Amino acid sequence: EIQVKEPIEKEVNPRLLPGELLLCEASTVYKYIQEDGSNRGTYGKLVCTNFKISFLDDDSASDDNEPQFKNKIVDCNDITLQCVDQIYGVYDEKKKLLTGQLRKYPEKLIIYCKDLRVFHFCLRYTKEEEVKRIVSGIIHHTQTPKLLKRLFLFSYASAAPNNTDGRNQTVMFETLEDWRDELERTKGNVKYKAVTTNEGYRVSEKLPLYFVVPICVSEESILKYEGRGIPIWCWSCHNGAALLKMSAFPKEQDDSTAQTQKAFLDGIYKTISKPPYELLKVDDLSSSLPSLQDIQTAYTRFKQLFLIDNSTDFWATDVKWFSLLESTNWLEIIRRVLKKAIEVVECLERQHTNVLLIEESATDLCCVISSLVQVMMDSYNRTKLGFQSLIQKEWVAGGHAFLDRCNHLRRSDKEEAPVFLLLLNCVWQLVQQYPPAFEFTETYLTVLSDSLYVPIFSTFFFNSQHQKDTNTTGESLNTQSGPFRFLTVWDFSVQFDPKAKAFLNNPLYAEKPKPDKSQRKTTRFKHQRQLSLPLTQTKPSTKRGFFREETDHLIKNILGKRIGKFINSSDEPPNSFREFYDSWHSKSIDYHGLLLPCIDGPEIKVWAQRYFRWIPEAQVHGGGTIAIAAKILDLMEEVQSLQEKMDEEHCQAISGDVHSIPLLRESARLSSLFPFASLQRQSVKPALPTSTWKDLEDEDELVKRDDEFVDLSGDTS
Amino acid sequence: LCHFFAQVENVRLLDRLSSRKAALGTLYLTATHVIFVENGSETRKEIWVLHSQISSIEKQATTATGCPLLIRCKNFQVIQLVIPQERDCHDIYISLIRLARPVKYEELYCFSFNPKLDKEEREQGWKLVDLNEEYNRMGIPNNYWQISDVNRDYGVCDSYPTEVYVPKSATAHIIVGSSKFRSRRRFPALSYYCKDNHASICRSSQPLSGFSARCLEDEQMLQAIRKANPGSNFIYVVDTRPKLNAMANRAAGKGYENEDNYSNIKFQFIGIENIHVMRNSLQKMLEVCELKSPSMSDFLWGLENSGWLKHIKAIMDAGIFIAKAVAEEGVSVLVHCSDGWDRTAQVCSVASLLLDPYYRTMKGFMVLIEKDWVSFGHKFNHRYGNLDGDPKEISPVIDQFIECVWQLMEQFPCAFEFNERFLIHIQHHIYSCQFGNFLCNSQKERRELKIQERTYSLWAHLWKNRADYLNPLYRSDHSQTQGTLHPRMAPCNFLYKFWSGMYNRFEKGLHPRQSVTDYLMAVKEETQQLEEELEVLRERLANLQESQLNDNKVKSKQQERSKQLGLSTSNNSLANTPQEYSNDLKSFPSRSPSQGDEEDSALILTQDNLKSSDPDLSANSDQESGVEDLSCRSPSGGGCLPSEDSGKDSDEAVFLAV
Repeated sequence: EIQVKEPIEKEVNPRLLPGELLLCEASTVYKYIQEDGSNRGTYGKLVCTNFKISFLDDDSASDDNEPQFKNKIVDCNDITLQCVDQIYGVYDEKKKLLTGQLRKYPEKLIIYCKDLRVFHFCLRYTKEEEVKRIVSGIIHHTQTPKLLKRLFLFSYASAAPNNTDGRNQTVMFETLEDWRDELERTKGNVKYKAVTTNEGYRVSEKLPLYFVVPICVSEESILKYEGRGIPIWCWSCHNGAALLKMSAFPKEQDDSTAQTQKAFLDGIYKTISKPPYELLKVDDLSSSLPSLQDIQTAYTRFKQLFLIDNSTDFWATDVKWFSLLESTNWLEIIRRVLKKAIEVVECLERQHTNVLLIEESATDLCCVISSLVQVMMDSYNRTKLGFQSLIQKEWVAGGHAFLDRCNHLRRSDKEEAPVFLLLLNCVWQLVQQYPPAFEFTETYLTVLSDSLYVPIFSTFFFNSQHQKDTNTTGESLNTQSGPFRFLTVWDFSVQFDPKAKAFLNNPLYAEKPKPDKSQRKTTRFKHQRQLSLPLTQTKPSTKRGFFREETDHLIKNILGKRIGKFINSSDEPPNSFREFYDSWHSKSIDYHGLLLPCIDGPEIKVWAQRYFRWIPEAQVHGGGTIAIAAKILDLMEEVQSLQEKMDEEHCQAISGDVHSIPLLRESARLSSLFPFASLQRQSVKPALPTSTWKDLEDEDELVKRDDEFVDLSGDTS
Repeated sequence: LCHFFAQVENVRLLDRLSSRKAALGTLYLTATHVIFVENGSETRKEIWVLHSQISSIEKQATTATGCPLLIRCKNFQVIQLVIPQERDCHDIYISLIRLARPVKYEELYCFSFNPKLDKEEREQGWKLVDLNEEYNRMGIPNNYWQISDVNRDYGVCDSYPTEVYVPKSATAHIIVGSSKFRSRRRFPALSYYCKDNHASICRSSQPLSGFSARCLEDEQMLQAIRKANPGSNFIYVVDTRPKLNAMANRAAGKGYENEDNYSNIKFQFIGIENIHVMRNSLQKMLEVCELKSPSMSDFLWGLENSGWLKHIKAIMDAGIFIAKAVAEEGVSVLVHCSDGWDRTAQVCSVASLLLDPYYRTMKGFMVLIEKDWVSFGHKFNHRYGNLDGDPKEISPVIDQFIECVWQLMEQFPCAFEFNERFLIHIQHHIYSCQFGNFLCNSQKERRELKIQERTYSLWAHLWKNRADYLNPLYRSDHSQTQGTLHPRMAPCNFLYKFWSGMYNRFEKGLHPRQSVTDYLMAVKEETQQLEEELEVLRERLANLQESQLNDNKVKSKQQERSKQLGLSTSNNSLANTPQEYSNDLKSFPSRSPSQGDEEDSALILTQDNLKSSDPDLSANSDQESGVEDLSCRSPSGGGCLPSEDSGKDSDEAVFLAV
């Protein structure tokens, strides 16, 4: 027997990153194949390092075909410590949540991940002391409070070679220049200025070193309340109206303090409501949007729909899918947030009003709303660089407390709230509604959401710029390495090779037409002049011509009120939001202009790629949106190769050889879960689900009044 | 031929979604259409609605502004009008009630619709889909299956076609005997045959088994079906009804096969609900669709409560079960429900669609509908209320099948040759009665009415415009377009989506307008253009080379001369180097690759190119609701199908004649 075992026992060692240390391991751990209730699985070694938990398959030789889309840092059997959500132990078929010290060790370990994977490990065949070590090790490193400095980020940064080639073009908003450039880009520099008041964090540790305020705001007032009550500039609209945010004063017990604070605020409002500033609309997000607590509760319920233990559970929830989805309230929160963003857009765009968002710290919902507004109004933010710069500006420099909100250090569950995920979910709605308007794909967003839990990038692992700064230079013991040089998540080549990175770029992105186009048009082929869809009727289109737009405006402004009454003769009160929304939707879309999402119930959808990607029951072989994406990539390659061929024909004047068209992706062989989960087998035998029909009991009376009876009288036999 | 029955001025058309945009115009009533023409706008907007599309008319309480009239259409359009005078409104209401419910087939639009085709073209159109050809394609007749003339003159079953395919070993005696033991005499007949493994799908109605009745011939018939598949020693008998319903039928002398009486059958219930449940379910879902800016809660609860997607899923599950039995187990299946013309048609056609890639092509899909629905006596007239009849007979049976196809298209976007628009147009015409294909309840009735001599075929019309219905993702050589589609055994509920393209397609701004497929159509067009351009360049190059050869002699002389004169030869129209060639191209009406910067090499898909999106899929354009300039064209479908030829059809004549 021993001889039989021996060939399997070849040494499998975990692939370690620089600075990564093996903490504990256990062998002959049995990992169940996730997809079915059967006990199929593989034996291997379970290891825990200071970066990840990893399962090492005993016969790893089997994965000879490299997946098309592979994360270089986190493999499919790796779970970073920060990615672990909850761990359950199974004792005699009973599930128990594992948190702290254990008296008895479970025979099975279930790990739920924040990226919604679920791992089942059976420890029955593992030596007892190994079980003890690995279970307590995993619990300790993932479930108990941690010091910031113990994050893998620091070990990695001090051990990894400093080879950040710095060709990252994302604007980081760490310098005064960055802010000035942004002011210039949005033409906000007439009324707003970048200030250096916070150098040395004199004002507040929560604010970035540099930020932008209205020109009329004085340094003293900024300093007065640690930056509270000061309108901070986010972005300027093409018509000069600006989006501002403000950190509110905490509820003050003391009357006189409250009085002075109120007076201070009144003064601020007065100065920024005067010309040259536009009218000001103040929106207190803490009262007009769901609370962080609501958001956290909704998301916790929502993700539970996808963290599925087994097939039986899946089918049990599947029967009531829509009502379960509804009861989580998550989609409704997305809808409300999008609606709020449209309201802000309407103020800026149509009413030429400045909008001031207020929130306790101005680093949570303020970030969501201001980012969304900028994505909708400024097409620059729909490019990859633009979007990344926006995240830098509003979230990273803006001081969103990633560490606390993601609970990376397991310090306090109370602070946890998926605020950044909420933004990604909202942006996804826009991406799926208007794919050609975005340079990036939904896969990009999914990858970004996963990167929240990969602690080799500094981007999502600090609460503020101040915290990062103090910990970068910090009292590091081995000073010979100098300040830490952290990686930024925006360098996607750290995680993916170029072939995989292709899935992050949207091939259908409608590039901005260049202004000097008109000349060339005339030299085009006749048939090339209008690239149009079939069925396109040559009818006078509702063109958004410049002139027409202008006159519309004029009429609205001058006659607005009187005409408004005439048109609005129905009972409903004039709803400027609805009107704005409707009128935008009745016009044709300019992918480089304003973009408003549809927010009616049917159009808010579940981000299937992110949430369903590990669920085999949800798999469509050779189908799903990825089939379209793969098809498009093929098509693009074909177009490109034709283009190249044409160039070639030109260059070599005489050329007979015809290149074969490369078809890289066989979309029929991919499953809808691609690029994340791998393809799985299917059962062959026909069988019917049993649970499916049971839920129609409410239709009882109709069933009884069956048509089978109705036909009886007329029967001839 | 036709006249305006009525004309009412100053009618207001309300936009359901925004109360702001009420359009003022004139309402016309003709023998075939309700027409609303908007006043004064530069682009005279119009809405044409065929009377046969009207599903209900509701007169609401008069308000200060007038009398509201709500017209709900079978293609899910909802039109809200406000008519100034109560009396006018009442007249319109009464007329429409009468017009929307014709009592004779001759009143239907297809008998007056004339697309200006001659007799021969009309006949050709009807020949486009030939079922005998289709059975031949399946490989039939062969050693196991034959065509039977037992039903000539509809002697055995009046809702079956005259030509029926049955196992060779089933004699006329067996067939007739079996038919007497089946509800409405709908005996087991072949629906689909799989050449590769001889497995087949047969269909019938329920047996008249009651609690204990038996029929030797029926048992022999099932035996014969099994024998026609030598590879398998049993057949599945699939009853698509819920078990409860089937059991209840036994009390009425009907019911289901007893496994003990038939040798070698495996019996299986699949719980698809009856037509009343389905009608009710659609009604509930449409209520959700009519909500003004529904919240997530409204929508999700409404959708789940309607049960609609569950019913769709049930039909799909049944189809998948049968497809797996045939393709993977190689076992033949007999499918029935009660009468075998609703659920059976749905399930057989879904299974065929999964099994055979041919049915996923445009032509194949027409054949499929013709085979499983039209020829086997699906009661189009009753189900879709073409003539005034029992409202309890109305049910969205084929709508559900069409939605199943759409759901499959969503799951397998590359597997179908046709697009969503194709499905929507077929749905539209099932109700429009503009073409004769879907008239009556059976082949017998259609022959008696001489439909093929008096009306036109929809299939020919769709075939002529097939370019509009192509799915750009489809490739005939692609592996997914060949062989069986493999959805999961029972796809989960989240895979089933609400089809806003169908149920909300008339709502402006309710959904985003640019689908990826439309976009792809444009890319594909660009590819084609590049290919064409390449071809032209090649030709041009060949010409140039030729002329170069011819000129060379002349040129060498010239060169000598120009050398003497000290002149360059580059102003000669011949291209010797790429640079010269591109210089030369400036006069040539094409862009030159040397000018190609990144803007040229990348796809140029700007707003300009894609400004106007598709009328039906987009719910953007006014055209989808038939709004077009009356003076230059009129919709052929009285609704949503503006196409090149439709401008010249009889509608226009009708209007101008007045």
